[in-house]
Amino acid sequence: MSPAPAHRLLRPATLLIYLLLGFFALLTLLPFVWMICAAVKTKEDFFTSQFLPRGPGFLGIAWDHLTLHQFVRLFRDLPVPRALLNSIFLASVGSVLATLFCAMGGYGLSKFKFSGRQALTTAILGTVVLPGALLLVPRFETLYHLGLVDRYLGIFLPALAPAFGLYLFRQAMINSVPADILESARIDGCGEIRIFFQIVLPIVRPMISAYLIISFIALWNDYITPQIMLQSPGRQPLSVVIFSLKGLYADDYSLMLAGTLVSIAPVMLLFFLLQREFISGLTSGAVKG
Amino acid sequence: MLKMFSPGLWIVLLMAAGSSVLIALLPIPTHPGMEMWVFDPNHAKIARFIAADWNQGHASNPVTIHLITGAAIQSRMMSGFYSDTPIADLIEVERGMIGQVFAGPVADVGFVELTGRLDRENLRTGINGPSFSPWTTRGHIFGLPHDVHPAMLLYRADLVEAAGIDVAKIETWDDYFRILRPLMQDLDGDGRVDRFLLNASPTSIYYQEVLLLQAGGRMFDEMNQPTLNEPVNARIIARLATWYAGPGHVASEITLGGASSMRLVREGYVVGLLAPDWFAGSIRTSLPDMAGKFKVMPLPAWEKGGRRTSVLGGTMLGITKAGRTPEAAWAFAKQLYLSPATAQRLYEEARIVSPIKANWPEPFYDVPDPYFCGQAIGRMYLKLAPDVPLRPSSPYYGLAQQLLNQSVSQLCAYADDHRLYNAAALEPEARRLLQEAQRQLQAQMDRNAFLRPAAR
Repeated sequence: MSPAPAHRLLRPATLLIYLLLGFFALLTLLPFVWMICAAVKTKEDFFTSQFLPRGPGFLGIAWDHLTLHQFVRLFRDLPVPRALLNSIFLASVGSVLATLFCAMGGYGLSKFKFSGRQALTTAILGTVVLPGALLLVPRFETLYHLGLVDRYLGIFLPALAPAFGLYLFRQAMINSVPADILESARIDGCGEIRIFFQIVLPIVRPMISAYLIISFIALWNDYITPQIMLQSPGRQPLSVVIFSLKGLYADDYSLMLAGTLVSIAPVMLLFFLLQREFISGLTSGAVKG
Repeated sequence: MLKMFSPGLWIVLLMAAGSSVLIALLPIPTHPGMEMWVFDPNHAKIARFIAADWNQGHASNPVTIHLITGAAIQSRMMSGFYSDTPIADLIEVERGMIGQVFAGPVADVGFVELTGRLDRENLRTGINGPSFSPWTTRGHIFGLPHDVHPAMLLYRADLVEAAGIDVAKIETWDDYFRILRPLMQDLDGDGRVDRFLLNASPTSIYYQEVLLLQAGGRMFDEMNQPTLNEPVNARIIARLATWYAGPGHVASEITLGGASSMRLVREGYVVGLLAPDWFAGSIRTSLPDMAGKFKVMPLPAWEKGGRRTSVLGGTMLGITKAGRTPEAAWAFAKQLYLSPATAQRLYEEARIVSPIKANWPEPFYDVPDPYFCGQAIGRMYLKLAPDVPLRPSSPYYGLAQQLLNQSVSQLCAYADDHRLYNAAALEPEARRLLQEAQRQLQAQMDRNAFLRPAAR
């Protein structure tokens, strides 16, 4: 009798792993399912059922009670379309610029020798430990004196080269970009800008995608900075507009959750598009010595 | 070059390019004239309604209403006052925000003082007196009150009436807990009580304040000097501890606002809730399926013949000194806050009663509300409006609330440790705790040179 193939022997263990993974995936998805259900419920049904309202319909659900009215209200009665545009603008332009400048900074710190490089790197790394909230007041004061309060540039400028991004790219460049390639390119007469764009950036491509999505999500979700810096309602992003739906006396939960769904949908879509590169970016260098 | 980067990167680049073009093509409209900041969507709706009317007659100086969250208003307002950053002409300020505004010398408060205007135009007597107190510092009024917010007891009429209980027999809190005691039940048979009689607990800052003020206690005197250690406060918190502590405690907490608290209210976790007018409106809006299950009644008194109401929350409208046209801002403020149209919308949408006495006879307050079993709750709240207790405007009010809360929590722990659930027996410890709270509060206040008597 020949022994059973290895994959057959593993099947029960694999099945168990899949079951466990499925269970945890379900657990993770539960709040999202709840949110989707809440967004299509009426105010009358919001507290009467945990997920969808119960009724005589298929699967014991009152399908006729479900409504998209909250989404209509969001786009018809509230400044959500403009806020959505502002969010896309702030997050996409901001993340592209931040990725570019962090890559440049990281390249400079890792591959160029200049006096004070170590001190500069330490200083940059030191700022990572400062909580963002601590810098809000001095940042506001600085931007005010620069005439950048209530300007999109007031959001972009401080986010151009965050310490975390600089350090991330510095490490990626140290691990991935061999000095010999750079030397060869210089000997062949390649200029520094061309070296950066045509040699260095393609090598750290996974890190670019990973950092792009990290900074996109951070800028998209940022609530406090635009709330303080952008004072005209027409300039405010979705995060601020959605939060302003919260009332002092009563909340329209279905409307708020519909707004939340609208605000997370583009980021989720982007993440699905970039997830492979995001993961490979974060794990690149993980096995290097 | 095209193959160098991922499709995802190109998508983000396209988004950046596309949105940049759209942003350039769709400029932000600029609004001439005055600006007003409000923090509540409902207030914004009413203000926009009144502003539309104002703008028709004042085309050269229209008002634009901006809805901004409370935390952002606070930051921008204080930044505007302290360092001349851009600020609105008119700002609605919630009670929790005002202390900071009054932390410096009176002359440096960023709002225009309204005392003289109110007196000259005989408005002071036309507005509910106690409603000015949170907006008054060292005898100077800086805001037009938006509301009164008298508190009543909102109770589950369906449960109470099904048990055959007549609330007309309730005059004091002792009556309330005694008569409603049968409703405190273990509903699922697990040996633990699932329904309590009142939404209050040692961890709730707001409820402590409501009950303390109702009982005649106070945290500050008329000159905003701390009075946490007054004997009356010790007597009150000793009694509160008997409601909160021990195996037979009758109160439990449902926090103000939030979906989870609404669910607990709906499930009947408590029979009675301390409810200012806005909270009754909030329940009505948030739980429409509970129509016909709630009623309101004046708060049971602490002693026979005592005060049957208290107060919670509040908003004012202030005119900033930085505004370019303060006279126009004052005219708009009066149109917005004094008009019967505002009072009607405020009541019909949020069940909030107006502090303007001239609006009190309006018939819409007498319309029976089917949600509250046909009670005309507007009229019921208005009857209590003149009895609303005074509140201080000290910048240290928040700290005093925290210290009071801490004392109540410590007293409850003391009661449980010593199995002591008698108010008289707990009073000496209550006095000691409040004495310590007073010392801490005074130490903090002494650090502010502007609030010392000589600097006033």
